[in-house]
Amino acid sequence: MILVDITESVLDPLAALEHCSSDAHGAADLFIGRVRNLNDGRSVTAVSYDLHPQLCRNIFNEICTEALAQWGESINVYLVHRQGRLDVGEASVITAVSSGHRDDSFKACRYLIEQMKVRAPIWKQEHYTDGDSEWIKGHALRTGD
Amino acid sequence: MNQSINVRLFGAFRQGNPESSLTVEIPEGGRVTDLRQAMESALPDDNARSLLKASAFATDSAVLDDHDIVPDREISILPPVCGG
Repeated sequence: MILVDITESVLDPLAALEHCSSDAHGAADLFIGRVRNLNDGRSVTAVSYDLHPQLCRNIFNEICTEALAQWGESINVYLVHRQGRLDVGEASVITAVSSGHRDDSFKACRYLIEQMKVRAPIWKQEHYTDGDSEWIKGHALRTGD
Repeated sequence: MNQSINVRLFGAFRQGNPESSLTVEIPEGGRVTDLRQAMESALPDDNARSLLKASAFATDSAVLDDHDIVPDREISILPPVCGG
């Protein structure tokens, strides 16, 4: 069972674990990405997340479907990303997986976050204590010349 | 004959562009390479043109290859991504 979303609301780890729950699942794995106060030696106060909502949902669904194909159709997967301006310490993304045994949950949960970072159309602009802001360089989606 | 394409801007392309889109002209039935060329002329500065080289174009459902025919009148330009 797949649940993906984009939201301006505060992320809820308990909602992720509620989705990733089944009497047949002996394992659940949860990852939370949070805004850090330091990047490349610069003191960060907040991060603004810009994203392409429709395409983002499509890519999230693709990634989750791949996880089910790899670790079994019976696993539950959850991938939700925040948009808008987030302060240091706030959660920007939650991925979660439940499965019969822990190895599948660990691997699938890591797959979700790693794939999301290089494939989902999401951009972040860091805001610094000196008042400056900068768009962070990322992973190019361009495939051909 | 030309067609107008509305290109939605994201991420660093919004820097210095208060509007969230640009309109460019490409030949009817043109490809993503034509769109890339049109964007090169439409973008305001060298930083944006440099970012264009690393950027992809997409519909609301898929990322396009440079050889694809532009399928819609509204296309998004996607600079390198960094979610999480």
